[in-house]
Parts: sequence; C-alpha cells; structure tokens
Amino acid sequence: MNSMWLIAREEWRYWVRSRLARVSVLIFVGLIIASSLFSTLQTLDARHQRLHQQEVAEQTFLSQPARHPHRMVHYGHYAFRPPPPLAVFDPGIDVVTGQSIFLEGHRQNTAMFADARAQAKAGGFGILTPAMVYQILFPLLLIIIGHDIVAREREARTLAPLMGQGVTGITLYCGKALALLGLVGVLALPVLLVSVMSVLLGESIPAGLFLTLTYALFLTCWSALLLLVSFAFKTRGIILAVLMLFWLFGTLIIPRIAVATGDASFPTEGKILTDLRMKDDLREIGDGHNDADPTFSKLKAELLAQYNVGNVEDLPMNFRGVVASTAEARLTKTLNDYAEKRMERESRQSRIIRDFGALSPFLAVGHASKSIAGTDLKSHHRFLREAEVLRFGYVQALNEVHAGQIAYSDDINRSSDQGAEKRTRVDPENWRVLKQFRFETSGTNARLARAAPSLSFLTIWTLGLLGVGVLLARGASP
Amino acid sequence: MTISVSNLFVERSGKTVLRDVSFHIDKGEVYALLGGNGAGKSTTLLSLLGFIKPGKGQMHVLGENPETHPAKVRASVAYLPEAATLYPHLDAYENLEYFLGLAGFKVGQARLDEALDTVDLQQPARADRMESYSKGMRQKVAIALAVLRDAPVLLLDEPTSGLDPVAIDDFNRLVRSLAGDGRTILMVTHDVYGACQVANRIGLLRRGDMVGFFEAKAGQRIHTEHVHRAFAERAAV
Ligand SMILES: Nc1ncnc2c1ncn2[C@@H]1O[C@H](COP(=O)(O)OP(=O)(O)OP(=O)(O)O)[C@@H](O)[C@H]1O
Ligand SMILES: [Mg+2]
Repeated sequence: MNSMWLIAREEWRYWVRSRLARVSVLIFVGLIIASSLFSTLQTLDARHQRLHQQEVAEQTFLSQPARHPHRMVHYGHYAFRPPPPLAVFDPGIDVVTGQSIFLEGHRQNTAMFADARAQAKAGGFGILTPAMVYQILFPLLLIIIGHDIVAREREARTLAPLMGQGVTGITLYCGKALALLGLVGVLALPVLLVSVMSVLLGESIPAGLFLTLTYALFLTCWSALLLLVSFAFKTRGIILAVLMLFWLFGTLIIPRIAVATGDASFPTEGKILTDLRMKDDLREIGDGHNDADPTFSKLKAELLAQYNVGNVEDLPMNFRGVVASTAEARLTKTLNDYAEKRMERESRQSRIIRDFGALSPFLAVGHASKSIAGTDLKSHHRFLREAEVLRFGYVQALNEVHAGQIAYSDDINRSSDQGAEKRTRVDPENWRVLKQFRFETSGTNARLARAAPSLSFLTIWTLGLLGVGVLLARGASP
Repeated sequence: MTISVSNLFVERSGKTVLRDVSFHIDKGEVYALLGGNGAGKSTTLLSLLGFIKPGKGQMHVLGENPETHPAKVRASVAYLPEAATLYPHLDAYENLEYFLGLAGFKVGQARLDEALDTVDLQQPARADRMESYSKGMRQKVAIALAVLRDAPVLLLDEPTSGLDPVAIDDFNRLVRSLAGDGRTILMVTHDVYGACQVANRIGLLRRGDMVGFFEAKAGQRIHTEHVHRAFAERAAV
C-alpha cells in the first residue's frame, strides 16, 4: 500500500520534472481551455439569441393587424431550440442539425442552421468542441505522457533495483495506475469546471456530475489500456505502435465502419424519390384552398346531411374553413407518417452506431456525452415533434376561427367584393391561439437512461483492460 | 546455511544457461562467483531473488524458497543489480529515500550521508541529479543503497565495476566488515584479485556449469594465482 503511494508519487515527480510531460500537458490544457471559452461564449450567445428570437417571433405574430385567418396560417411562425447548458461542452449533433424551424400551413419545413453565422464568425474554431478535445486529443496526451510508464524503467534498468526492494508486479501496476489516475483527475478538471458552470446555468447536478464522470471513466479506460500494453510488451517502440493503432482504430476506423454499417442496414431512400412519393400521396388529399375539389365532396355530402340543409351556404359554419381544417389534418397525418419513418430510420442507424461503442470506447463516450448533454438525435427529434405540434395547433386553431367566424358567402366573394373582404378580417385577439413555445431539455433521468448502454460499454472496457493488465503484471520481472 | 543452491537448472529463451549448479553459503561468509561473460552469474542471482523460475533444483535463502516466496526473500536481501542505475532525474538523497521507502525503511539525512561517506561519494555531488553522475559515482550510490538496506543477505552483481582502484579497495574493506557483522554476501565479480581478498569461497562458472571451487583455509586467503590459472584453463569462454 505504502509502496504503491511511493511509486505513484515518484511518477508524479518525474512528470513534473519532465519537460515533455510539462509542455504537453500545458499545450493540451491550453487547448481545452481555449475551446471551452470559445464554446461557452458561442453557446451562451446562441442560447440568448434564440430565446430572444422566440419571443420576438411570438410578439410579431400577436401584433399582426386584423386580417383573414388563413393569411395568418401562411404568415407563419418560428420555433427555436436554445442549446441546453451542457451544449457548452458537447454541442453533439446540434452543429449539423438545424436549430430553428419556420412553421406554416400545409408544410413541414426542415430545421435551419440558426448559428451558421456564429460558426463562421468563430473562424471554424467552433468545430473543435471541448468534447472533441477530450475524445480525440486527450487519449493522445495520455499516450505521449504514459506510453513509457514501465518501458522507461526497463530501459533505464531501474526495474531491477525497484523490484529488488520487494515491490511485486501487482504493486508496481497499482502504483503506476494510481499515478495515471492522478493525471486523469487533473485532466478531468476542465470538464468538471464546465459542468459546474452548466449547473449554475440551470443544468441539474446529476447531469453535470455524470458528464464529468463519463469523461473521467473514458480517460481511466485509456489509462488501463496504457498499463496493459506497458506490461504486455517490453520495448517502447512496440508499445507506442500498439497504442497508436488502437487510437487509430477506435477513433477513425471503427466509427467509419459503424456509420457505413448503419447506412447499409437502414438505407436512406434518395431524397428526390421520397419527395416524389410524398407529393403523390399529398395530391390525393386534395387542395384545402379549393372547396370544390372532388376529394371533399364526401365531406360536403356528410355535412349537408348532418345539418339537413341543401346548400353549403346554409351550413351553420364556413365550409371553406372546414375544408381547410380537414385538408390540414389529412396532410399533417401523411407528413407525420413520412417524418416518423425518417426519424425511425435515423434512430435505428444511430442505435447501430451506438452499439459499435462495444468495439470503440471513443464511440461509447461520444454517445454517452451527447445523451447526457441533451444534444443527441433523440433530443433533436423531440424538437421536431414539438415544433410540429405547435405548428399543427395554431394552424388548426386558425382554421377553426376561419370556419366559425367568417360567413361562407363573404369568404367566396372576398376577391370581388370589398365589403365582403372587410368582413373576413377577424380581430387580432384571435392570434392569441398561438401557444407559447419554450423548448426544454429532456429530464435528467431520461438522458442518463439513454447514456446507460454506452456507459456500460465504457465500464466493461475499463474493467476488462484493468483485469488483463493485472494478470500480466503478476508475472512482471526486471 | 544462509543460502543453498542444489542441482539448479535454468532455461532462458529455451536455452539452458545453468546446468546442475550447487553451492551453499553460511552466515557471515563472503562467496564470490567468477566466470566469463554469459556464464550465468547474473542468472544465478536473479534466480535466488525469484525473478527467474528454475527448471529443476532447489534454492533456499534464509530458509525461504524464492520460487514460492519471492516477496519474503526480497525483503531480507539487499540486491545490487548489474550495471545498476537509479533514477537520473533524482539526486542521490532522493533516490536512496525512494528505494529505501519501497523496502519499508525510513532513513534520516544523517544516516544517508554516513552511507555515502562509506562509499566515498563526494559531498557536493550528492544533491545533484544523477543524470550528471559518472558511472562509478552511480555505482557508489547503488552500493550505499545496498548497505542502507541493512539486510542479513547481500546479493551483489559486479559491485566494483566502474570503481577506481582506491574505491575498489575501500569496497573490499566494506565487504569484509559487513561479513564481520554477520551478514552473508554473494558477490558476482570479474575481479579475481578482489575476490581472493574478500571471499571465504569462490565458485567458478563456465557456460552454466560449475567448473571450479576454492575455499580459504582458516585465517588465510585464497591464492590469487590458483584462481587465475583455473580461470584461464577452465572458465575462459
Ligand atoms: N534476458 C535474457 N533473455 C534470454 N537469455 C538471456 C537473457 N539474459 C541473459 N541471457 C542468457 O543467459 C546466459 C547467462 O547470462 P548471464 O547474464 O547470467 O551471464 P553473466 O555470467 O552474468 O555474464 P556477464 O559477465 O557478461 O554479466 C547467456 O547465455 C545469455 O545469453
Ligand atoms: Mg552478469
């Protein structure tokens, strides 16, 4: 126990005195600080901007003058997605998915890049997120500092005097492991700081804690690999080569294979093809602006029978409004079917990539991190669904106003009769049917549950590497 | 019998490097193991420490079997490895404190200085990092470490290699006085003259075989010429 401490302390003293260790830690920590600062400023700005723009959009909608409700359906509205607090550390897929959607009648628009300009302003630095520094570069730092943790002693022939003092292979392993854990502790400080900051910004404490632990676990996993390889091979060159190969496979090759496998298993139908099929489906729904469209004749007959009248003019509601509402409902169902299918396919692909985390700690930590931060695909899909609920809600509410407050005769004559046109303008009070929209990050438990499979991969990797490492260390000799 | 080795066979990388080696050392004795390069001298010490597992044969150090209880053996043995180097980024004090700490010893500065005086390491160099030491200076610190371990058994692999003639004489005196205190010393060396000066017994190894054995008569030393001749005739590679 005491020897273990001594060995760890000695390793720390060596690192403090080693120029290579000092300089590389400085460079990498400088990098993480710079990228955290950039990311913080950018994310906070985006968060502020989008919350503000959401309010402005609502104000603008509400302050529209009296007009025909269907014009408001087309006037449209916006849904913004403010980044969650932990996006400061890991913006996840949010950097490639849109963060705002233009909402209007009869259409589901795709999300737009709200922060494309912000990205450009950051001079591309925004691409190097703190999460990426941790996932890609910190393993390299560990390799630089730790690849010779045993080999150095072997080369300098200090292993013989060391073990001659009664230090067993296991003690040596534990001492070196403790030294690396200390380094991991230091390297985990930046993510801890960012997590604390996120908690101050409203993130839950467990989420911040788990994000920090996730990265500490990832770095521990790498330390375990370093130790295993150090005890498995005797020469520095081979150790370095094995570690670099592992990094290359885990970080570059397996993720590529994972993405390719995901694509191949659930191929994305060509966008043009899907669009064409969707257009066909939509054509059958009929044009909601034209109550004479034959697709609505059944609806017309039913209504006439229900109210026992002979003419649409005699219905107690505006038939055009009913048609608009019915068409919107049918169209939305079709659009949602397509959207759900697309999201289902994306989810399956992303699950395959997640499961490849069993082969690559890099993929595992990436998935866990995004899930905890709330910047994963699930969160994006939820945003799309909630924005759609908002869209459908206000469009149908306006259609109800259309059906209930405007006389059919005024409606059909409004282009020829100025008086009729005036009467089709409804009071702006009606614009209040628009619901307030504030997108919230999923609850902590849901996010942690999503991260659980990847966290177990990381844990299994770490325990496995530690176990094999200890076995190898048992037979260590100078 | 403090150390006993009987019918020891050792293989390294599939090659037999010790063949039917037997010897024993009593308490307070100095045993010198002589032999050409690659004869198996260092291998013998590594086996006694349990670092190398023998193929056949029996070994005991203070009644313990190093094969089954290496930790117990290492705890009672001060081992000076061949071409010992300590940490270049530490000074002599730091090195000694560290290695003694690993063995469970806490030694004060005065005691460290005393040991470094014994091996005659110049005072001003002691607080310099060992990367600036000459080979002989490093060897002196390693010897000081073995002395400071205060162990009943010392296994020394070429302790005088790199030392100047005066330091070698000092060292030989040190070995005699340690033995006089009742310590048992097994020493590997290429220095026939030195071996004859300090050893009660001398064993001659040649390519893994014990080919010669000399024992000092009471109150006398082993004759250097005898050993020299035997070495040239039987032990040369
Ligand atoms: N690490 C090793 N792996 C495999 N064989 C080894 C190893 N070290 C030594 N040997 C072999 O074991 C034999 C004995 O080596 P050993 O180091 O015991 O010789 P030695 O008597 O100490 O020689 P020297 O006087 O040169 O130090 C030699 O044939 C050598 O080739
Ligand atoms: Mg040797």
